[in-house]
Amino acid sequence: MNYRTVLTTCVYCGCGCGLYLEVLDDELVGTLPCKTHPINEGGLCIKGWSAHEFVTSEKRLRRPLVKKDGHFVEVDWGEAMGRAAAGLGKIKEERGPQSLALLSSAKCTNEENFLLMKFARGVLGTNNIDHCARLCHASTVAGLAQAFGSGAMTNSTPEIEEADCILVTGSNTTEAHPLIASRILRAKEKGAKLIVVDPRGIQLSSYADIHVRQRLGTDVAWINGVMNIIISEGWHDKDFIERRTEGFEELEKKVKEHTPERAEQITGISQVDLRRIAETYAKAERASIIYAMGITQHTTGTDNVLSLCNLALLTGNVGKRGSGVNPLRGQNNVQGACDMGCLPNLLSGYQSIASDELRGKFEVEWGVKLPKEPGLTVVEMMEAAAGGRIKGMFILGENPLLSDPDINHVREALQRLDLLVVLDIFLTETAELADVVLPGVSFAEKDGTFTATDRRVQRVRKAIEPLGEARPDWQIICELAQAMGGEGFQYKSPEEVFGEIARLTPIYAGITYPRIEERGVQWPCRSEEDPGTEFMHEKEFSRGLGKFTAVDFREPAELADEDYPLMLTTGRSAFQFHTGSLSRKSPSLRRELDEAYLEMNPLDAGELGVPEGEAVKVSSREG
Amino acid sequence: MRVLAHARGSITKTVIQKGQNQFNPIIIGFLCTWCSYAGADQAGVSRREYPPNILPIRVMCSGRISPHHILKAFQMGADGVLVAGCHLGECHYIRGNYMTAKRIPVVKELLSFMGLSPQRLGLTWVSASEGDRFAAVVREFTEQIRELGPSPLRGVS
Amino acid sequence: MEALRAKVAQLLKEKAISGFLGLKLEHGHPSPFLFTGEEGLDLLVVSDTRFPLTKLLQRLTSKYPEEKFGVMVRGCDERSLIELHKDNQVNLEHLVTVGVACSQELAQRCGCKVPYPSQFEVGEPATGVEGGGELESIEGMAEDERFNFWMEQFGKCIKCYGCRNSCPLCYCSECTLEDSFLVPPGETPPKAPIFHLIRAFHTVGRCIDCGLCEEACPVGIPLRTIYKKLGQVVSELFGYSPGKEVEGRSPLSFLGEKPFKEQG
Ligand code: SF4
Ligand code: SF4
Ligand code: SF4
Ligand code: FES
Repeated sequence: MNYRTVLTTCVYCGCGCGLYLEVLDDELVGTLPCKTHPINEGGLCIKGWSAHEFVTSEKRLRRPLVKKDGHFVEVDWGEAMGRAAAGLGKIKEERGPQSLALLSSAKCTNEENFLLMKFARGVLGTNNIDHCARLCHASTVAGLAQAFGSGAMTNSTPEIEEADCILVTGSNTTEAHPLIASRILRAKEKGAKLIVVDPRGIQLSSYADIHVRQRLGTDVAWINGVMNIIISEGWHDKDFIERRTEGFEELEKKVKEHTPERAEQITGISQVDLRRIAETYAKAERASIIYAMGITQHTTGTDNVLSLCNLALLTGNVGKRGSGVNPLRGQNNVQGACDMGCLPNLLSGYQSIASDELRGKFEVEWGVKLPKEPGLTVVEMMEAAAGGRIKGMFILGENPLLSDPDINHVREALQRLDLLVVLDIFLTETAELADVVLPGVSFAEKDGTFTATDRRVQRVRKAIEPLGEARPDWQIICELAQAMGGEGFQYKSPEEVFGEIARLTPIYAGITYPRIEERGVQWPCRSEEDPGTEFMHEKEFSRGLGKFTAVDFREPAELADEDYPLMLTTGRSAFQFHTGSLSRKSPSLRRELDEAYLEMNPLDAGELGVPEGEAVKVSSREG
Repeated sequence: MRVLAHARGSITKTVIQKGQNQFNPIIIGFLCTWCSYAGADQAGVSRREYPPNILPIRVMCSGRISPHHILKAFQMGADGVLVAGCHLGECHYIRGNYMTAKRIPVVKELLSFMGLSPQRLGLTWVSASEGDRFAAVVREFTEQIRELGPSPLRGVS
Repeated sequence: MEALRAKVAQLLKEKAISGFLGLKLEHGHPSPFLFTGEEGLDLLVVSDTRFPLTKLLQRLTSKYPEEKFGVMVRGCDERSLIELHKDNQVNLEHLVTVGVACSQELAQRCGCKVPYPSQFEVGEPATGVEGGGELESIEGMAEDERFNFWMEQFGKCIKCYGCRNSCPLCYCSECTLEDSFLVPPGETPPKAPIFHLIRAFHTVGRCIDCGLCEEACPVGIPLRTIYKKLGQVVSELFGYSPGKEVEGRSPLSFLGEKPFKEQG
């Protein structure tokens, strides 16, 4: 008889809640919130509370699968690995490394992402590595890096509570990041002003002091309008602009053109409301901007992010507690997957692959030559696969078939491949198309680290043994690398991998397992003495000066017209997650919500004669 | 539960039918089949007038009325809920109505603490032969609810 | 702490119990753990961090109904065990409780009337906290003000079920909160006030006012105040206080002929 609880980090969203997995006689029986955790302080959302449920699902892959004559057959590890290694090797040999591509996983640990990055660049010799953040927050990384020099949440989750004004836009926080929403509500109760700019009425909007709905895709316009008011009223922080920023003149010029009248016309937000937003935000001592995919998942995503950065710089709301520009990253470890360099142009810690010096550092450590040219993004990979230029792919724990924008296109692309290897814990829609499926393990069966949305690196701890013959993903990657002749993949533990990450990645340099044993550390953490960084850009921006970028409003690439008269936007539910590959395996979550749904304006619905609960067919130009 | 599904249908219908000018409260009556439901019948047969605002739902015993049903009725926008059972000591299931007698005051306190007037929930004991009394109780209760005005939960969902 | 460790070591050694459910300090945080042997006992701690130990205990006792278990109890834990025993969820005869008196600080934080169990090995009895916290001020509101107050509070709910999941007295295998007719699934916030009122009604005659529900609520809804109020009602109407003594049964748990407390 044994009963214990194992402290680990939630596998669903990017909040990074600390939870305990309850283990009774070596079986997972429940989840408990960690009462003393800095993020969730004893609370969890429904996904967290049921985090153990999907782990032991019937549907888990327990043995490797290989496709023979169009059907999967269970094989032993030797055969599956042999086929994967030989297949990838053959393509590399015959077609060159650039005909291979890899997708990494925002669900896997930092160590695993790092190893896959090392495998791609060091063993396969390609920079064609990316992951799903491309679809969500690539514009965040680009925009924030351009403005501040670092593409991550500037402040930390607990600090949100200290803000005097919180501007939430494009984030249905209570549903997508419940334990961050709880901080927003707490700030509100302490007297902070809450501004919600969202085309939909969301749970937070009923608590907002100001809630406005912009026309879809007009974010740059309302932000420019707000800045116009701030500047003409003289509410901007001249001292801050003087000391710490550049590019103000151009911004001022551009913003002048965006009069409140014009903003009202474009966005549908009244001038009165724009004024209230401007005044409330600009006059707050500590104002925090919180946004998510409602800002980034646009053709103009980077412009939107840059505009929010402009707004924060204009009012001096970066580099102090309770302020900042805070993108909420969706997946539990999407921050980590980016940090680990699972990006076509960057090595771990956002070090450019094109830089001889930085690349050289990795080459010395790894003892191999690395390709210099940036690789393909996930979208380009699919293009290239469809066009026959990519011949082999390795996909780690992702389901691009459902998460990518255009399902038919992706299916065709993946079907054209000579070899598709998928490492996952379930036979996802993507894995169904694979030639080799390698059974990995869930977060409950391995050690490692996740990096939460506020740059907090935290431990993941093994609670139970892998199910069936499944193996920890980090081991599988190492074995595959070795089978293909890769050197330097003999790690004894994820901790050893982490040591290598720290050696090669300055922003992680000071982080070690013992240091994050209790509470985690927030990067940048450059040395053993560095306590980590709660909020960034305090004395100086990562890039030196904060940079304003004058941005013009552009209409979204696709507009409603007569043929396609309605605008559709995406949303989140607290009860399901991502493409549902985990959450749909959880009975508690399925009971709440088992199907995707669509919300409509009652007026549109009335006009089209669609009653509540009716099935609708949605078509767009993309399919 | 089936009982309530039926109630949902009727409430929604009534909400739609009722005019907006005068306040016409929606009242759900959970009536025990052995006594008050029969009492209501009696009232009907002997043409005792009582207001049409009450939607009677027949239950096998007042003890079968779970507080969930009462709460659901309020959630759906009922302005009042009247629970009626056999006189104490006359329950067909011997002690069913004692449970009712214990529960209702607690539910009233709960409603009150939530900011819903406890007067919106009525409890009465009527026997099968008391058609007159039934009509009177309903008249009085309807008046009481009319005075309280619409439930603040109307239109909430 | 040493007294506790020694006591548990002795119980285990004498085989009076097969395991002791207490808190273990690991990775810098205290968490529930079943101590089955002497080794590891140095990590057994008493801390102001509370977990629903008696709820977790039910998992063990239902899997091993014949075994005897030891469990660390504070005042609230002991009260929950008494109520669970009456509901046939645990059998006090198969349990050895080791009592801990809470610190004054914790008692204050919990707003606890009796911050110690009937017997205790560790700690000094702190002074009980009187008064219902927010209860009085909410009762003092006008009716419509109170209605708005609660609707605003309930509107924050993210339907995590943490209140239920943390409650030692919530042991039903089928939970009414998940009844899709009463509370439509998949909505946040869940239908209000019904979601919260159902739970409130379910605490009647059972809630031992430990406050673990409120501690687990990520959005800070003063849930316990509602249950506290109902506790007062039950005590006034029926003269029953959950968790107080092993005799007597909760008034709403049985069909009885005496609906109310004898007057006089
Ligand atoms: S808020 Fe996010 S991290 Fe926290 S429990 Fe829910 S899904 Fe997990
Ligand atoms: S206070 Fe809350 S957790 Fe404790 S017994 Fe009462 S309802 Fe359950
Ligand atoms: S703990 Fe709070 S947020 Fe969670 S379900 Fe209960 S009341 Fe709602
Ligand atoms: S049978 Fe009428 S109340 Fe029980």
